[in-house]
Amino acid sequence: MIRAAARGFFRALARLEDWLVAGLTAALVLLAGAQIVARLVFDSGWGSLEPALRAMVLWIALLGAMIASREDRHLAIDALSRFLGGGAARAVRAIVYLGAAGVTALLAWYSLALVRTEYESATIAFAHVPAWAIEAMMPFAFAAMTLRFVIHAFLPPRPESAPITPAAP
Amino acid sequence: MIALLALALLLLALLGAPLFAVIAAVAMLGLQAAGYDLTIVAAEFFRITEMPVLIAIPLFTIAGYLLGESRAPKRLVRLSDALFGWLPGGLAIVALVICALFTAFTGATGVTIVALGAVLYPALRHARYPEPFSLGLVTTSGSLGLLFAPSLPLIIYAVVAQQLVSDPAVRVEDLFLAGLLPGLMMIAMLAAYSAWVARGIDRPAVRFDASEARAAIWDARWELPLPVLVLGGIYGGLIAPSEAAAVTALYVALVVLVLRREVSFGEFPRIARESMLLVGAILMILGVALALTNWLLDAEVPARLFEWIRARIDSRLVFLLVLNLFLLVFGMLLEGLPAIMILVPLVLPIALGYGIHPVHFGIMFLANLQVGFFMPPLGMNLFVASHRFDKPVLAVIAACWPFFLIQLAAVLLITYWPDLSLVLVR
Repeated sequence: MIRAAARGFFRALARLEDWLVAGLTAALVLLAGAQIVARLVFDSGWGSLEPALRAMVLWIALLGAMIASREDRHLAIDALSRFLGGGAARAVRAIVYLGAAGVTALLAWYSLALVRTEYESATIAFAHVPAWAIEAMMPFAFAAMTLRFVIHAFLPPRPESAPITPAAP
Repeated sequence: MIALLALALLLLALLGAPLFAVIAAVAMLGLQAAGYDLTIVAAEFFRITEMPVLIAIPLFTIAGYLLGESRAPKRLVRLSDALFGWLPGGLAIVALVICALFTAFTGATGVTIVALGAVLYPALRHARYPEPFSLGLVTTSGSLGLLFAPSLPLIIYAVVAQQLVSDPAVRVEDLFLAGLLPGLMMIAMLAAYSAWVARGIDRPAVRFDASEARAAIWDARWELPLPVLVLGGIYGGLIAPSEAAAVTALYVALVVLVLRREVSFGEFPRIARESMLLVGAILMILGVALALTNWLLDAEVPARLFEWIRARIDSRLVFLLVLNLFLLVFGMLLEGLPAIMILVPLVLPIALGYGIHPVHFGIMFLANLQVGFFMPPLGMNLFVASHRFDKPVLAVIAACWPFFLIQLAAVLLITYWPDLSLVLVR
């Protein structure tokens, strides 16, 4: 029961991430492109578009990072673990990912503190959008990454793609 | 206690912990010890939204991925084959040029081997290039092109360096320009070696075919304006890098999705997601690296490091040599972009102390990383190639040696000949 609910939750979250990141990317390409065309061709621009684009980049980055956590594809060095086998590799993996989860949990907590502070000071980022609304994505994203890292701590690593076998000359 | 913690974190990083988490942990520990409220880490991360040039990163990345999904790489192969195929070692040179262009636009090393190796390795073998040569060439090409605009490492270096130096300014435009000659030199040296190896291969003489060249150029008519758009726009002073990225992304999307229709709109969400995963992974590290830099500067770590090194090395040449060794080893251990974000805040202030120009330093730094990628015994691309081509790592290492030595010579030239990087910038 709880298991099914959790599975449903993560599936919904994954779909939300995928669609939101695709939509924001399309919007970024169109708006950033339109802005420069407007500047070069019609010699005019929209003043408040630039900060909006930068906010979109933050959201895209956070969504991309959430997806990277989901698929266990964050940038890592991984120089030693390929020399470990079986049980040792499992134990190491659990420690490493629980550690990462601890870090993202702290990041979520302190970004929430930042959102609260900005909410009280009511800073405006651009147009009528308050800064806290843009920042609100940060605690959300870090919390989602924390959940994913906890799950990955107990799962086997992602299988690598198959090698290419070249045709004989 | 602190040394113990640092050691534990280093171990976690080497065991495959996500790098951004390790960097964030170091930053938080340092800032906590210095008595800061850790909300500053979140505030530093949020500074991602204060850097206009960062808009260029998702835009160039989506453009690169869209081009990669279209038939543009095939047209590129045809075009460079028509233009260079008749040269001795032509196919090898084609492979070098294509890999460099592909890496410049996609930025992510390792990806080039996976994406292009599948085409180029069998083609080289088919043209009777010796097996170790083919394997070495494809592995080496995986990191070639780092120095050409609009590669992400050049942009990221400029962003990180801007946090540390204001005079002379480190502009993205300058780095794009500075990388040009050193990058071309690396390709020229490898091409010369390829031509030398190819002289022993017996093959039918291929002659330059003007009509095929014209047809190939016409075939690539929509892609050819791209370098002009990117480089001409920026170097001509018409537009800033972030604007060049905007024009590139919009142009590529129009060509690939609307004019050529080689990628359908239905595929866009998948490609966007795949490319933004990379962007997210990169910017995540950049965000926490900003907090780390803040702490490093606050604790005067670079200044103290400089004092320590200055007391031991007073010759600039010796310092550069030590720096080369250091960067090669770290380039071997770390992936390129994390290496830039972690090491530049530490090392750039020291290099400035020795009177090295920050733009020259950037090019030298990236050239070292490029070689470190496939440096034996632990360079990442050795393992990527071993896996992709199903060869033992030792065989890949043996195949890469000549290429490694050539690239190393190029790195030394770039290091000790600052004008090669700076002549176009001045």
